[in-house]
Amino acid sequence: MDTRRKWYLGAALMALLYMVGLVAQAQGLQDDSRRNRPRHRDAPEFKVDADWPKALPNQWLVGQVAGVAVDRRDTIWIIQRPRTLTADEAGAAQTPPRSECCFPAPSVMQFDVRGNLLRAWGGPADPGFLASRCTPAIGCEWPTNEHGIFVDHNDNVWIAGNGGGDHQVLKFTSDGTFLLQIGKAGQTGGSNDTAGAPNGTPLLGNPADIEVDPANNEAYVSDGYLNKRVLVVDGQTGRYKRHWGAYGNVPSDADPGPYVPGAPTALQFRNPVHCVRIANDGLVYVCDRLNNRIQVFQKNGRFVREFFLDRATLGNGAAWDVDLSPDNRQRWLYNADGENNKIWILERLTGLLGDTFGRQGRSAGQFHWVHNLAVDSKGNIYTAEVDTGKRAQKFVPQTNR
Amino acid sequence: MTSTGTGEPVRGRSATPWRRALAALVLLVSALPGFGHDIPGQIRVHAFAKVEGDRLHVLLRLPLTLLLNVDLPKQGPGYLALADIDEGLSRAVRAADKDIRWLENDRLLTLAASSARISLPSDTSFGSYASALALLRGPRLSTKEYVFWNQGYFDAHLEYPIGSPSSSFSLDFRVAPGLRDRLKLDLRFLSADGRERAYELNTDQGPVILDPRWYQAAATFVASGFQHVLLGPDHLLFLVCLILPFRRLDGYLVGVVTAFAVGHSITLIAAAYGVTPEGAWFAPLVEVLIAVSILFMAIENVFRPQLQRRWATSGLFGLVHGFGFAAMLQSQLQFAGSSLLVSLLAFNVGIEGGQLLVLMTVLPALTLLRRWVPDSERALAIIVGLLCGHAAVHWLTERMQALWKAAELAADWLPLVNIGLLLVLLSGWASWKALGSLRGSSKSGQAPASVQR
Repeated sequence: MDTRRKWYLGAALMALLYMVGLVAQAQGLQDDSRRNRPRHRDAPEFKVDADWPKALPNQWLVGQVAGVAVDRRDTIWIIQRPRTLTADEAGAAQTPPRSECCFPAPSVMQFDVRGNLLRAWGGPADPGFLASRCTPAIGCEWPTNEHGIFVDHNDNVWIAGNGGGDHQVLKFTSDGTFLLQIGKAGQTGGSNDTAGAPNGTPLLGNPADIEVDPANNEAYVSDGYLNKRVLVVDGQTGRYKRHWGAYGNVPSDADPGPYVPGAPTALQFRNPVHCVRIANDGLVYVCDRLNNRIQVFQKNGRFVREFFLDRATLGNGAAWDVDLSPDNRQRWLYNADGENNKIWILERLTGLLGDTFGRQGRSAGQFHWVHNLAVDSKGNIYTAEVDTGKRAQKFVPQTNR
Repeated sequence: MTSTGTGEPVRGRSATPWRRALAALVLLVSALPGFGHDIPGQIRVHAFAKVEGDRLHVLLRLPLTLLLNVDLPKQGPGYLALADIDEGLSRAVRAADKDIRWLENDRLLTLAASSARISLPSDTSFGSYASALALLRGPRLSTKEYVFWNQGYFDAHLEYPIGSPSSSFSLDFRVAPGLRDRLKLDLRFLSADGRERAYELNTDQGPVILDPRWYQAAATFVASGFQHVLLGPDHLLFLVCLILPFRRLDGYLVGVVTAFAVGHSITLIAAAYGVTPEGAWFAPLVEVLIAVSILFMAIENVFRPQLQRRWATSGLFGLVHGFGFAAMLQSQLQFAGSSLLVSLLAFNVGIEGGQLLVLMTVLPALTLLRRWVPDSERALAIIVGLLCGHAAVHWLTERMQALWKAAELAADWLPLVNIGLLLVLLSGWASWKALGSLRGSSKSGQAPASVQR
């Protein structure tokens, strides 16, 4: 065989091997995502986008990412806890610096869908923020442990806190100008307080999350780690509108004791009441985290139905945060489960299980204490992890279904 | 030594095997992927322009963040003082009239009447002309509403008297020119005969004719095609590689260039009429193939130019480049008005003009160089081949990443398999060329015998 023929043969063999490799890789990816498990045939599938977010500037590093939200322009906001960084993680910020990297990032960060950081402000890691832009003198008490985040229909950013004395929700403009505080740090008044704070707003009890209804600018607060209620206030003034407990009952602060699988269903929320989300059809979804259930209400607090997740889940519970698919009907409800460390995909109106994805782990696409999630208009899911998870991830819906 | 039927044989200077190996190494090492930085954020202005009777009605929506210099009155932490906003709104209208200029037959239109208001960020009335007009004619925002100074919209209804509804109207959008392509205007133009055209304009891009006559569209597209060849480095490099081995402009070279022109015209027109795959992978695939075409030409020039077949490769790669031109044309077709075919042909004419200019510049330059430096043929082929190949490998790496991402997101692996196969065949072919060339050099101690025209 002459040399030319050898090269032809070599090139052909290389081409064949390359093709086989590509096909095998594609097949492998599909096999992995279609592993044996019960699933609804229409349920969407997701794949992690490990390129999101991109590397942060200024040698910044995020701590526990407590909250994530998507605004109406499809930019993604997170609230993270710079104070949870350990000395070795924030090595450059130590005195003297113990390593080349890193510095704590500001608490509120805005990204685009490609993972570029657009804006960052707030919290102890934003120089001067707590000394001038958010001070008790102007009625702004930044929480000691940042929690949920929500961006409303008018681009205002709402945040909550659940640290020891954090009994307040704060409202800022998108560039971090303080607008309103609901509640008062260090003061709490139980699950039925309506106007106990000095500024006439209700006292809160370690609020977890917020959602603002664009129809009438009412702010819904899942209240919280100490109180056991959903609270609705006016989004402009923070003044009380209404509140309710589980099944629409008047909330009770009596200690229900630990959750026991198989015990009669609790008639009150357990702490924390961890999320509140409003669907396009006006239904309000509330996470009763330790009771492993999502309760559904009308906007006036009338109970509609409840979905149970894995009722055997102990520890921190299975119902952490919900958001809805972006189709008009909002067919799918996604629930972040930080105890089993997976995302549940439920059919919103029936509560039937569509699918789940993720597992405990630290590789891309896995979770540790997945705490919050949010969905953009393209159906991408963004997740936030706390404890030692300390990251946000993006999951892209697969379109070959 | 081989010879084509028409060419004169030229003996090139020998390039030793180690030189070639070094050249290949430089080519590969220098092709490490580069990292870019995206400029985040984009501001959009929305507008409707409707010709109605003796007036041009313009409905305008500007994000408040663009009105920083107008200094609207504020209260509290930064809310607009809506009760005292009138004077501020008048200033904003004047600013908008100054920076968004409407022309009728190149005559600047003068603002005759206006009304303006502030809207909440959540307002969606600018979805259609009717709802935007209803908003502007309806009650103003309550003074009890809270609008933060940079979180909302300034909406205005501007009326300009016109001479005739059938005049040619154009727009010069130059709000905050420093923002360049980060500030875009989404315009819907409703002409007197009921047609609606959509435009997306960058700020400060110069006057744009909104419903051009055929000759106006043709002039725009000739210029556009001309610019695209001269400002598109990939097409330029391909052309340089294509004509590098030729020494003079003869019938054969004209045939080679014509084959390229015919190839790209076919796919350009086909793409403009929608005969292209719809997958998100297609555009990156075309970009990859364009890089491959340059790499192919660069390698062939360095090792063994097959000039007798160059018209065929030229035509084949012309098809690929045509899809590339079409991708660029997509954003330009908005300026075609109702003269789509004329605009396409004009775009092609512009491209040919650009190519002709390249030809008329590069060929004499090469001839002069060869006269000054005798026997520089091989050195020239290697240096230009390296430079072009270097750029092509860079593009190939970047574009393969984009293609991979697009195919991965669409979970569609077929284009990747195809491109992989193509690349492997290309590398096999290049290796074969290289080996043949090395063998030739080692046997004869001189450059591979190729024919230079």
